[in-house]
Amino acid sequence: MKQYIITRIGYCLLSLFLLSLTIFFFVRVTGDPATLLVEPGASPDDIAAIHHQFGLDRPLLVQYGLFMVSVVTGDLGQSFYYRTPVLELYWSRLPYSVMLATAAMAFSLLLGIPSGILAAVRVGRFWDSAGKVFALLGLSLPSFWVGLVLILVFSVYLGWLPSSGAGTPLHLIMPAFALGWYFAASHMRLTRSSMLEVLGSEYVKLARLKGLPQALVISKHAFKNALIPVLTLAGINFVIMISVAVVVETVFAWPGVGRLLYEGIAFRDFPVVQGTVLMLGVMTVTVNMIVDILYAVIDPRIRLAS
Amino acid sequence: MESPASGGTNTNLTRREVLAAAAAASLTVGAPHAAFAAAPAGQLTYGVHVSLAPSWFDPADTQGIITPFMVLYALHDAMVKGMPGKAQAPCLAESWSAAADGLSYDFVIRKDAKSHNGEPVTAEDVKFSYERYRGTSHELMKENLGSIETPDPQHVRFKLKKPWPDFLNFYSSASGAGWIVPKKYVEKVGDEGFKQAPIGAGPYKFVSFNPGVELVLEAFEGYWRKPPSVKRLVMRVIPEEGTRLAALKRGEIDIAYSIRGELAEELQKTPGLALKPVVLQAPNWIYFPEQWDPKSPWHDLRVRQAANFAIDRDGMSQALFLGYCKVTNSVIPYTFDFYWPPPAAVYDPAKARKLMAEAGFASGFDAGLLYCDSSYANMAEIAVNNLGEIGIRAKLEPIERAGFYAGYANKKYRKGIIQAASGAFGNAATRLAAFVVKDGAFAYGSYPDIDALYPQQADELDHEKRAAMIEKMQRLVHEKAIYAPIWQLGFLNGVGPRVGESGFDRIPGFAYTAPFEDLTIKS
Amino acid sequence: MSTSAEILTLPSRPPRFAFIRGLRLSGFPLIPTVILVGIAFVAVFANQLAPHNPEIGSLAARFKPPFWETGGSMKYLLGTDQLGRDVLSRLIFGARVSMVVGITAVLFAGVVGTTLGIISGYLGGWVDQLIMRLTDTWLALPALTFAIFLAAIVGPSMWNIVIILGITYWTRYARVIRGEVLSLKEREFVRLAIVAGCSKWTIMRRHILPNVINSAVVLGTLMLGVVIITEATLSFLGIGVPPPQPAWGLMLSDGKQSLMVGRWWLTIFPGCAIMLMVLSANILGDWLRVKLDPQLRQL
Repeated sequence: MKQYIITRIGYCLLSLFLLSLTIFFFVRVTGDPATLLVEPGASPDDIAAIHHQFGLDRPLLVQYGLFMVSVVTGDLGQSFYYRTPVLELYWSRLPYSVMLATAAMAFSLLLGIPSGILAAVRVGRFWDSAGKVFALLGLSLPSFWVGLVLILVFSVYLGWLPSSGAGTPLHLIMPAFALGWYFAASHMRLTRSSMLEVLGSEYVKLARLKGLPQALVISKHAFKNALIPVLTLAGINFVIMISVAVVVETVFAWPGVGRLLYEGIAFRDFPVVQGTVLMLGVMTVTVNMIVDILYAVIDPRIRLAS
Repeated sequence: MESPASGGTNTNLTRREVLAAAAAASLTVGAPHAAFAAAPAGQLTYGVHVSLAPSWFDPADTQGIITPFMVLYALHDAMVKGMPGKAQAPCLAESWSAAADGLSYDFVIRKDAKSHNGEPVTAEDVKFSYERYRGTSHELMKENLGSIETPDPQHVRFKLKKPWPDFLNFYSSASGAGWIVPKKYVEKVGDEGFKQAPIGAGPYKFVSFNPGVELVLEAFEGYWRKPPSVKRLVMRVIPEEGTRLAALKRGEIDIAYSIRGELAEELQKTPGLALKPVVLQAPNWIYFPEQWDPKSPWHDLRVRQAANFAIDRDGMSQALFLGYCKVTNSVIPYTFDFYWPPPAAVYDPAKARKLMAEAGFASGFDAGLLYCDSSYANMAEIAVNNLGEIGIRAKLEPIERAGFYAGYANKKYRKGIIQAASGAFGNAATRLAAFVVKDGAFAYGSYPDIDALYPQQADELDHEKRAAMIEKMQRLVHEKAIYAPIWQLGFLNGVGPRVGESGFDRIPGFAYTAPFEDLTIKS
Repeated sequence: MSTSAEILTLPSRPPRFAFIRGLRLSGFPLIPTVILVGIAFVAVFANQLAPHNPEIGSLAARFKPPFWETGGSMKYLLGTDQLGRDVLSRLIFGARVSMVVGITAVLFAGVVGTTLGIISGYLGGWVDQLIMRLTDTWLALPALTFAIFLAAIVGPSMWNIVIILGITYWTRYARVIRGEVLSLKEREFVRLAIVAGCSKWTIMRRHILPNVINSAVVLGTLMLGVVIITEATLSFLGIGVPPPQPAWGLMLSDGKQSLMVGRWWLTIFPGCAIMLMVLSANILGDWLRVKLDPQLRQL
């Protein structure tokens, strides 16, 4: 077991290293940040000055080396645009992203799991379809549109909710809904298929043979076991939510990490992009690794096969 | 003012005259503290369309774009800057004079000018601010400077290496060198520390900044001109236009920057909200980089003139900006020094077609790609349609902003036509240098007669003679139809019911609210 | 994974309508499929079906509402947009763009992903590790962020978007297909082929590929929806299919201002179109997945 964990951690680090390499070169291909920090018509001297200020005129390998050194020492550089340390920017926005992702995840599970169970158990054709379709609808509508419609209806026409920004729990409702709806479908699907699998398992067949009522079978055994894969998927989706939220964050002016990254790319703010992507990468890779380890713990065949 | 026939209204007129004089006096920059001003109270909230950057808190980093001034006018003050009614108004500098030989400039600093920490603004601060300046045009500023003398705390003398007629223009508006920061404080906290907690001499003090989220400012009651009437200003970042308008409608914000198109129409129709358009010093145009190639249709003057006649400028302005853009026929902003007003642009597609026929292109030609900044693609779409109507067939190629301007400057778009704009600071001469004269940053070719005039005017100290030369250059640009200018952008903003004086459109060509000390809340 | 081999055999021919009845009984989503076919039909015959030119409008005819509202006319059935272009024509041509972008991107991602998944799963060893590390790195960046990146590098154009979407999503295929190949490898018919002396490539081509095609197809229908939504989101961010091309996502994004001022027809129609297409693709995909193997959990 320990061997497995160590190898997984090793792969993690390798992935992160590859990621840092990729992101480093990727951002530099997006273009020259200097042109965005000056008005069109700026002299070549102005631009050269900016290059020098940010160390962009040094050879690529040197830049990469410095970058790696700073990463290892925990300093992700300083934003070209904000002139603040990237880590500071990241930590100041992460709580908002986590808040939004948590609320969105709660909503998406609240919608996804019951519809998945219903779909698997086929309790009356209507509810099964209705839940499924509602979840799938979330997958079929772009979140920015959902967000704008929500603002129009609940903020402007009805006046119930604040239109943008962060602050009170009321501010969280619409963005969480717009973000979470998209993921409800994948949770529903997984719940359904994993319920089906469990319901077909030997243990459940035995329980039925014993004469236990359907509801009891479902709620006690099937449900719990079916949930495991769903929750692991939820964990992975949680991290994805944080980046994908960029659209919702833009529409609702929610100060999260997704928007930070997007602006970084738009402004060619290399340190921000490099730093944020790496931090998100660390999160993703860590969550994936935990999931893989959990699976190995649960299912010895996986552990032995790899 | 007296009309002899009005009979017994002498006293009324006199009172009116007195009131008019008092009103004029209060508008004049440099008026003493208004004795009847109450303590600052209340809060105004802004919805800002771009992400606020800490480099805007430091005048030394001023890049050549107008956005940092959104914050600079609040936090800082300059020796000489644009104020209502005057493009170069004395602010921290009470007065100044230039030597006859143009080699030195003397400034007298206002005695009651203070920084937020209570320290008076001194000549040392002025010298320090100039020397640490590293923003746009700073090499130019350093190159021409000989030395800065500070004979006493109230006097500063700039000595130039050679006569530079544009010195005051650059010092006051085309750079941030004239915006003064306190030397002792900056040296104590360092540049980075300064950006975290900036101190200046402007009407508002820095309270807090949450990057990308919001900036909070508080009134500085010791401001020399007058204490601001609004106590707190909050600038909140709301990048999405529709959301910004929703926030304005709900009263969550009082002022919203940049509301365009249909949202602006909606704003106008909403009771309680006011639309405040400001015309920017940013002309938009279409450029013909192929005009120096004898094999290209654009080489023929008549074709370029035809393109000028084909663009429906008013229609575009009406459709996209509710008509608030100012149609112009020059690539130089009309607020600039040495601006020469050309004859008005004419929309006459029939005439355009006639010119095309005369040039031998009755059935039109394929103009290739129209390159444009993707944020203005809707303008370009209309332009493509307009040109298509007279037979010039072009295909739209929108390019993301930074990439577009990089390509434009690197002379990548030699084949085809270009739609672009510029909001850079300066005067007519600097614009001509960048866009018309040989080796200009954005000039794809040049004409010898215009080129010959440029160095002549650069050295000319006599203002009249210089203006005449620069006017001649602009005439030539117009006659040769080097460009098809379209308009100067109308920047549309929204103001809520709580706002008294919004500060919009008081300083010509300035997009944002200023002067901040004049903002008021309706009681 | 018990039924894969059986799929390769053809069923005996049943009487004519029994086929349809059989489908309906098995819950075949008739309506979604009809919708998808309908959209494809519209896409192919756009030139014949559209009443106006979708890219050129006249400023005089801006913002006309659909014909059943006051101010609307039969000339512009579903109204016009901010540049006076007919919404119906843009919807019709938009079907073509959405279909082309969607299907091509999905095919691109599918071909690359399936191939790499087969190679990775079957060959194992360092090749497998390399490809898996590659996908890990790719997946560390969520699709949208990755797409934004690529758009910033290459600039948006319709074909660039296709490439971007394809490159972004191939990893989904690779992972799933590889998982399937791993278990297929242990099956009897593969071992028999190895014993019979078939080369690795022949086995991959003749035995593995046909059996993973099902999963690839299912994944494809599901990916279609994702790709379309991503395209719409990229347009919202300003880096999608560039104007004046009529893509539904772009129409939605362009019309977002109009939505706030009550000109609902500029977003509701493309929004419905997107929703119908993606929902249909998803329902069909779900059904296929259930039919083919209810245990395709990774999807």
